[in-house]
Amino acid sequence: MEKRWGKKWALICLFLFNWARKVSSLSVTVSDMECVYEYVLYEGDTISGNFVVVDHDIFWSSDHPGIDFTVTSPGGNTVHSLKGTSGDKFEFKAPRSGMYKFCFHNPYSTPETIAFYIHVGHIPTDHDLAKDEHLNPINVKIAELREALESVTAEQKYLKARDTRHRHKVNETEIQ
Amino acid sequence: MNKGMVFGGRAACFLPIILVLCLTRNSNILPVAEAIWLTIPSSGTKCVSEEIQSNVVVLGDYYVIDENNPDHIPTISARVTSPFGNNLHHNENATHGQFAFTTSESGNYLACFWKDGSHQKDSELTLGVDWKTGIAAKDWESVAKKEKIEGVELVLRRLQGIVETICGNLIYLRDREADMREVSEATNARVAWFSIMSLGVCIAVSVLQIWYLKRYFVKKKLI
Repeated sequence: MEKRWGKKWALICLFLFNWARKVSSLSVTVSDMECVYEYVLYEGDTISGNFVVVDHDIFWSSDHPGIDFTVTSPGGNTVHSLKGTSGDKFEFKAPRSGMYKFCFHNPYSTPETIAFYIHVGHIPTDHDLAKDEHLNPINVKIAELREALESVTAEQKYLKARDTRHRHKVNETEIQ
Repeated sequence: MNKGMVFGGRAACFLPIILVLCLTRNSNILPVAEAIWLTIPSSGTKCVSEEIQSNVVVLGDYYVIDENNPDHIPTISARVTSPFGNNLHHNENATHGQFAFTTSESGNYLACFWKDGSHQKDSELTLGVDWKTGIAAKDWESVAKKEKIEGVELVLRRLQGIVETICGNLIYLRDREADMREVSEATNARVAWFSIMSLGVCIAVSVLQIWYLKRYFVKKKLI
């Protein structure tokens, strides 16, 4: 009886644990350097995301050189970096747990709005399965399914941000 | 989180407390890191925005993180505005706050934070912002209680919700792309008409010039 009750708590806690997925999809205006921090709970988690520069001041500017994007691990090393892009996707495995810093650097002084999306996904491994006997392999499969759906959602957010960017260009060149 | 659980009558009474702490939004007690952290500059405001469709639930939670002096946490002010400029949430002199609203119009929703005047030190402030929209903001605990489902079934129900959101987003993207294509085609048609018209004007003006000059020279008996 107590073991069944404990199992129920285990499943509910597992559901809550699944619930504590870190997703954030926002836009921020970058004049020089803006950093966003995100906490990664487990080593080996996959950090995926994308960002798109939704042009702020496009009418008079020639091609902007792009935004530099760097990801710094809690130890201070640069885990991932992209230079001079107007938007890209990224995905990497976190080498350790802790607070990761995602920085956007704007080499020009005109402020640019960047729409970004960062997702930290965790899939229980065999080690987690061995540690907790109430975690059965179906939870691993559900976590994988959840991550696959999150990747589709991430792609949609990227497409939506790019669509916003193109829409601004099209509306600017529209002849009334 | 609470993965290592002890089963036993005595320890089981701790579980509801932990669950309640996890479910409440006051993350200062149990810092469940679900949010992104931003740095608020010592002067000026930091704003984050998102373009949201109408009829979407938005839940926000923000809290100041300051490990340097935990007994004298600096305060911030926050404001959330709708795309038409309405003030949806305003808070002054607070270390944490929450807001919830359903969007009535689609557009850019802006949440701005700035340091209060009483703490004008040169240090930067770290602010945790938890911003959830749509399916992520849905209250699954009440759904579980109402329909009496739990565990794997509840997780699968959430996945079903996510899939429905994906379908909705696809249709939304398709409609926006259709709008943009219409604008592009209208622009293309107008540019084509404009260039043909300017070419026609050039040709007409040149024909007129030739005709006038010919008439002039004939009149002056030069040809």
